[in-house]
Amino acid sequence: MQNTGKVTPEKVVALQALRQQLGQELGQKITSGAELLEEQEGRESRWASGREDWDKRLGGGWARGQLTELVAPEVSSGSGLVMSQLLAQARRERRYAMLLDVGQGFSLETLPADDLETLLWVGCGSAKEAIEALDVASRDENFFLFLIDLRDSDPSDWRSVRASQWYRVLGQLRQRESVAILFARQAVTSVAKQRLELKQQFSWESLEGEREVLKASVQLERSQVQLVERERGRLRGMHGMGGAHGKSDEVLAVG
Amino acid sequence: MYRVVKETGQKVSGYAVIWCPDFRLQAVVRRVNWREEPVALVDDGQRQSLVLARNVAAAREGVDVGMKTVQALARCSGLRVERPSASGELAAGRMLLEAALGWVPGIEETEAGLLTLDLSTQVEEEWLESGRRTRGRLYDLGFEVVVGIGETPSLARIAALAAWQRGGSLWHLHRESRLEMLDGLPLTVAETGEELNERLRLWGIETLGAFARLSREAVASRLGEEGIELWLRLTGRLRRPLKLARLEQLFEEHHDFDYEVCDRESLLFVVNRFIENLSVRVERTGRAVIAVHLLLSYVDGACYAKRLALPEPLLDETVLFRLVSGHVETLEMKAAVEAVRLRFEPSDPVASQRQLFGAGLRNRFQFEETMKRLRRLVGADRVGAIREVDSHQPGAFQLVPLPAEIEEAKEHSGPPVTGLVLRRYAARIRARVWVRDGRPVQVDSPRASGVVVNISGPWRNEGVWWHRGREWERNEWDVELMKRGLFRLVECQGEWEVEGYYE
Repeated sequence: MQNTGKVTPEKVVALQALRQQLGQELGQKITSGAELLEEQEGRESRWASGREDWDKRLGGGWARGQLTELVAPEVSSGSGLVMSQLLAQARRERRYAMLLDVGQGFSLETLPADDLETLLWVGCGSAKEAIEALDVASRDENFFLFLIDLRDSDPSDWRSVRASQWYRVLGQLRQRESVAILFARQAVTSVAKQRLELKQQFSWESLEGEREVLKASVQLERSQVQLVERERGRLRGMHGMGGAHGKSDEVLAVG
Repeated sequence: MYRVVKETGQKVSGYAVIWCPDFRLQAVVRRVNWREEPVALVDDGQRQSLVLARNVAAAREGVDVGMKTVQALARCSGLRVERPSASGELAAGRMLLEAALGWVPGIEETEAGLLTLDLSTQVEEEWLESGRRTRGRLYDLGFEVVVGIGETPSLARIAALAAWQRGGSLWHLHRESRLEMLDGLPLTVAETGEELNERLRLWGIETLGAFARLSREAVASRLGEEGIELWLRLTGRLRRPLKLARLEQLFEEHHDFDYEVCDRESLLFVVNRFIENLSVRVERTGRAVIAVHLLLSYVDGACYAKRLALPEPLLDETVLFRLVSGHVETLEMKAAVEAVRLRFEPSDPVASQRQLFGAGLRNRFQFEETMKRLRRLVGADRVGAIREVDSHQPGAFQLVPLPAEIEEAKEHSGPPVTGLVLRRYAARIRARVWVRDGRPVQVDSPRASGVVVNISGPWRNEGVWWHRGREWERNEWDVELMKRGLFRLVECQGEWEVEGYYE
């Protein structure tokens, strides 16, 4: 088979056949890099979302010590519901949360007052300021949950954040095992270990629907954002990445 | 977003200067409490004794600085002559620092009797009130101080000097009206050299405001370094980081007994007072005590020193007193005590046993540090726990401190929460709206445009109708724009805007 550097279905089939053959000859299960990564992810510490249906899709809950990106490309895709659930769960577990609100558009009137009891709001003027604030706050052991709201932020704004700053924040999150969720309209940084996408758009009826029922219909899906481009960009020393869409993370892992 | 706190839109940086004029004299006058009597501080170190400083009562009698002491005594027979007191100045300096600590934690001891405070950790609206309170506290302690507030350390210093010159106690050099306020100040307030002042007078420039209005190039080319330095100071362009004072010196108390102390009760009486004072100071820094250092000096020249460690950082006066008194009880008093010194070793109040059952701040010191840094980064009015206010104004909220303890979450009662979560746009998104039969049918705006496929409203909202000029009213609509999502439209006095969206 000619090696073009492209992952074709034929290559995948050939690879699977080769693994099967090797496994039979050695009498051991052959594990691919992608499977190993998945296993490792599964072993990583998770924070239960408070909803069983979500936890199943999240692989046990939100990743601790990692940055998770929640991409909501369209308005009314349910990212507010996810934020509301995160705040409610932090309150239930009596943990402090911090919202780094770029644009300062947070409205408390549609959220239960009790869920805001443990929330520290930080109004930021830009994404750069928010990440600087996160850099400061993620060192503090008092805070467990960090929500970074870049939904109304312009890509040129978060592209100005240096890659080293993202990595420093990530190091601190790992050390404290805290949870950080970044809300955005498109993929923001290659540092994010997990990227989820909200693909649906809620209908007019949802304005009257019971919130817990609406949460059940939130479709948290693994993002199909191209990892190759992201990694290339990182190696080239780019400061943050845009959301080039293409091959999925899983395909790349096999290749 | 509407805010109850003033929306400044930018970071507010501010500094305060607490200045104690004639500090060396005040350290003595305060100590002996002769506020109303004529007092002069004299220097006996020279061949001829000279007056270093005098109080207002002495000045009224004609006593002036630099005068020979004999001349001063000839003019004012009742003049009380005092010598500088290093210990008095040290104690006075600590009292100033302690009072300033009650305002903000970032303090620089710029010079003897002059402190510069970083106000970026406090909301601007509270600056004046805190300044008055601090000045009042120092007045009760026997100090006459003036407070100046400005956007840079230099401007705050000018404000303090202006307050003193004008016989006031507090002066705020507002950012918005800085030039107008400087117009009323003579050149001497800026502590510039006589030569420069004279040249400026020849130019017809009599006030700091007039100087600040000159162009930078003109000042640089004709007045050189000194001129440009003054210009930068007056225009708020000269900024410098503060060299923050080490507050550890505040955590120590010392007392020399006027008599020989042989019994433990007298000793413990003093110790108890020390513990009360020191606990307040440590608490203001957001820390706790991990150990207490006790030092006793005996009349026979012997000393006894002991570090009494605590199992975990705490700030309970009763426990601290019990710790020290319990130890003092065991001491064998071979000789009378002539002096006692107590020092608190501060530490982070890290997670304690109660965290096993309760929840709250695990590390209060770290939390205070984080808050301080966040306020400096984004502005003091943009950090806090967000709470509703008793107002019908849409989006109005107030910021309060985050609770240090977290109560159990209450079971939700009442009707279930419905709908998506609203998020407002930061800026006003003006919209062009086509209306048919009084209802929007199409929207065109930079953020959301399209045909209205579903709509509910209008909901009329109004407030402050009792205050002419500040009253407001608006009509709100929830709309679904075809393939764009769910938005909130607002019509106010014929103008439309997209207020936010539902997520």
